[in-house]
Amino acid sequence: MTTNFTDITTTTWDDALSAIEKGYELGWSDGLPVVPPTTARVAEFIGYSGRNLDDVIGELPERRRVITVEKAAANAVMAGCLPEYFPVVLAATEAMLDPVFNLVGPSSSMGGAAVLCIVNGPIREQIGLNSRNNLFGPGNRANGTIGRAIRLILMNACAAIPGLFDRSVIGHPGKYTYCIAEAEGETHWTPLHVDRGFDAGDSTVTVFASEAPRQVRSVGRPEAILYAIADVASSLGTSMSTSGSVGDVSVGIRQGQVAITIAGNSNLWRDWTKQQVREYLHENVRRSVADLKRGLVLRGDVEPGDEAAMVPLVPEPDDILVVFAGGEESNSSSVIPSWGPKVGSTAVTKTVNVP
Amino acid sequence: MHDGIHVEKAGLPSATICTDRFIPTANAMAKMWGAEDYPTIFTQHPIENLDRPALRERAEGLATEVVAILTSG
Repeated sequence: MTTNFTDITTTTWDDALSAIEKGYELGWSDGLPVVPPTTARVAEFIGYSGRNLDDVIGELPERRRVITVEKAAANAVMAGCLPEYFPVVLAATEAMLDPVFNLVGPSSSMGGAAVLCIVNGPIREQIGLNSRNNLFGPGNRANGTIGRAIRLILMNACAAIPGLFDRSVIGHPGKYTYCIAEAEGETHWTPLHVDRGFDAGDSTVTVFASEAPRQVRSVGRPEAILYAIADVASSLGTSMSTSGSVGDVSVGIRQGQVAITIAGNSNLWRDWTKQQVREYLHENVRRSVADLKRGLVLRGDVEPGDEAAMVPLVPEPDDILVVFAGGEESNSSSVIPSWGPKVGSTAVTKTVNVP
Repeated sequence: MHDGIHVEKAGLPSATICTDRFIPTANAMAKMWGAEDYPTIFTQHPIENLDRPALRERAEGLATEVVAILTSG
């Protein structure tokens, strides 16, 4: 198989340290050491997936990039993945190359997005993904390396090179790695992938171009937690309230999707379904016309009635991705605003094909 | 850059204006599409903080260059 690789760099090293340095010299790193992508190791990953090395996962036409299984495998190796993680990396790559994700936007924009990967279904336990304590890391190989593989694919295969085509002004630490799983076996709630039309027995990954998680420490009662989540999600300055309007001009702003993680013991939420959570938040994640004007999201001077006139920041309840995940110690939650308006990038879920 | 280059390739004259903080990105995009000679107009960064009159003034200052590119054949 190795003789069929289309893009081989021949290099030599004397020891592990020089191999690591070679990865830096070749420009393959995200700033951290990469695992040398030897042809044997890359072939092992491809073999595990059951795919052909030249299978096309998707394209990024704006940058003339065709992303093959070979490219994805090399980056998954460099990220430190195990072969059994590779199907998740493939599914996430396929998802972020879906046209509605509009990868050229979040991978180039000054907005500084990362690609959050949310894994559901049996694959979570099969590969040991963490869905609990220290949800966003560190400390778990599967989470850490799958998320990192996505970033390396973005940089090395999709040309999202910082300072060149990736023009993030600030960005956030999730751009190194940003992969979580849902603790779906420990809640009465339907898992995210079932909410999005998949069977409970399917393994899936959902990609979401998004900002960093903002932790919400309100605990105790569902109503209080949701009130605090809505308050945080309604902040000025996120991409859920962007100037201008595309599509429904009656809204006046460009609304965005948002992911919510809720930790702890889901028994606290026994009287709530995820749909009720989504509907509550859809109703309450909003901002007054007056505040939107003060923040220059809307034009014009504040006028009588603007304080009471509220603008919803999320288009539909289904645009709120509710994920039960995080430590059992507390009902803490997090709010993860989208990178941009929904018309600019929409979350995508794809099936993980486990060989 | 991408759109301007492709409009030009489709046979319609185009002129693209970038702010000067994006010179490396603009040049890399032109090179990626084999359009190294694409005549990009660079203007001082930033423009996002300009109000409408200031933005109009900036645009008027570039108009001659835009017309020259569009009519250069």
